Amino acid sequence: MDDAAGGRLMVGTRPARRLTEPAAVRWLLTGLALGFLGLFLLLPLAVVFAEALRNGLGAYLDSVREPDAIAALKLTLLAAAFAVPANLVFGVAAGWAIAKFRFPGRTLLTTLIDLPFAVSPVISGMVFVLLFGRQGLLGPWVAEHDMRIVFAVPGIVLATVFVSFPFVAREVIPVMEAAGTQEEEAARVLGASGFQTFFRVTLPNIKWGVLYGAILCNARAMGEFGAVSVVSGKIRGETNTLPLHVEILYNEYMFQAAFAVASLLTLLAVVTLIVKTILERRMHGGH
Amino acid sequence: MGIEVRHLTKSFGSFVALRDVSVTVHSGELVALLGPSGSGKTTLLRVIAGLETPDVGTVLFDGDDATRRDPRDRGVGFVFQHYALFRHMSVFENVAFGLRVRPRDQRPAEDDIRRRVHELLGLVQLDYLGDRYPSQLSGGQRQRVALARALAVEPTVLLLDEPFGALDAKVRQELRRWLRRLHQEIHLTSVFVTHDQEEALELANRVVVMNEGKIEQDAAPGEVIERPATPFVSNFLGNVNLFHGRVQVEVHDEAGHPMPMELDGERSEAVRVIVGDRVYVRPRATGTP
Repeated sequence: MDDAAGGRLMVGTRPARRLTEPAAVRWLLTGLALGFLGLFLLLPLAVVFAEALRNGLGAYLDSVREPDAIAALKLTLLAAAFAVPANLVFGVAAGWAIAKFRFPGRTLLTTLIDLPFAVSPVISGMVFVLLFGRQGLLGPWVAEHDMRIVFAVPGIVLATVFVSFPFVAREVIPVMEAAGTQEEEAARVLGASGFQTFFRVTLPNIKWGVLYGAILCNARAMGEFGAVSVVSGKIRGETNTLPLHVEILYNEYMFQAAFAVASLLTLLAVVTLIVKTILERRMHGGH
Repeated sequence: MGIEVRHLTKSFGSFVALRDVSVTVHSGELVALLGPSGSGKTTLLRVIAGLETPDVGTVLFDGDDATRRDPRDRGVGFVFQHYALFRHMSVFENVAFGLRVRPRDQRPAEDDIRRRVHELLGLVQLDYLGDRYPSQLSGGQRQRVALARALAVEPTVLLLDEPFGALDAKVRQELRRWLRRLHQEIHLTSVFVTHDQEEALELANRVVVMNEGKIEQDAAPGEVIERPATPFVSNFLGNVNLFHGRVQVEVHDEAGHPMPMELDGERSEAVRVIVGDRVYVRPRATGTP
């Protein structure tokens, strides 16, 4: 009560003090935030490009055009090309089931979706080795059918799909829950089939969430190291993704080449961020 | 179209929403389902629309069993409590939706859709807002768009869930009058859910009073007021048009005692009013509310 009265008095006499923090505090906080950003984000970013270009543009282009680097880039893009569409479908389906229906095991499913986030990526990779490896549970079956999963491209794709699974579902569930089921019911009563309801009502309502989730999923798929590192076997030119290639180059003291390849990943990340920012603007901009 | 529901029971977990409910809605009638929240009225409406499946009981449309019929094949127009407009579509597209999702062989040509939508938007006096999105409309406008959208598919039954619940008093009055006029013009069998006695009594041909999943009374509005069938009905309708007041002047006899009042045409010794007492005055129902 006293506080309220005091507050009202202050509004009358010194309005500015009520509205915002003192200038010194504001500057300090802004400075801290910017300093942190510079030290931990911008500086490393600058170092990547500086080191990559240390021996000049020619050397940079040479290390980027080197066959193993190109193979790694291709593999990374391939893994993402599988992971993003697969997780789009899984994510939207799971999100739809969780947000629109009440069924036994719903909570369990919600928890399971987060599993790839909760488990260390290295463990995720190990799981695939234990499943499909030569000594693994399904190893004999895989060998019988003359397939290679672990230490080959399929394993890398599987591990990538696994670790990037939660992104779309996580983005889609809250949007769908907020939208509720009334619009779908309205569509049904108006004569729309299940397909029509989904494509004309449900999907348009969540499209920005889906796209945003896809972008995050893509970023993770391209950058994944731990899980892929376990299943890859690191065969140069065959099972090396960009992050793994960077590590190998770095361990072989080829710093300039390592940074050059890293700059490729960085560029991919920057593009992702730009797309994400544009999408966020559109998401908050209404229709 | 006539609707008949027989012995409906529906529960959600341990909550029983409908207990052995039977109602008949004759063709062309405007029926109100009246009751407090949790009385099962909305569930009954949703069962009729096919949005819920009853545990027990049947729903007949013109005598045909429609209990398991898909909502899209029932030919009902449904106006949701919060309108449920498609937020990513313009007002025009909202109204056109029911026509556009028809199978190709039944779908009207684009020109016909256009004409029909403009006709309906004209009917709800919103033709000038066709390009707007639902978020840019007021509550009353959204409500009318929802009505136009429901009418676009030429339903044989119109179901309205708390159609005026979320609107302010003035808009409500207007829409109520408008809905009654509409019903007089097109004689569409209509059922609406409300918890507002006045609304039910003013609009409906027949009022079905519900409580705790059961029907308390099913009668004409005048009868519900004059001859409430159960204590619940008289209680629930009890405060219609109540005027609250306080006694300002007392009537005294020569000895200075407060005079008995005339109540319901009878002099009663038991009733005396004293200055400061609260009194409730209610006009006697004369049949037409």
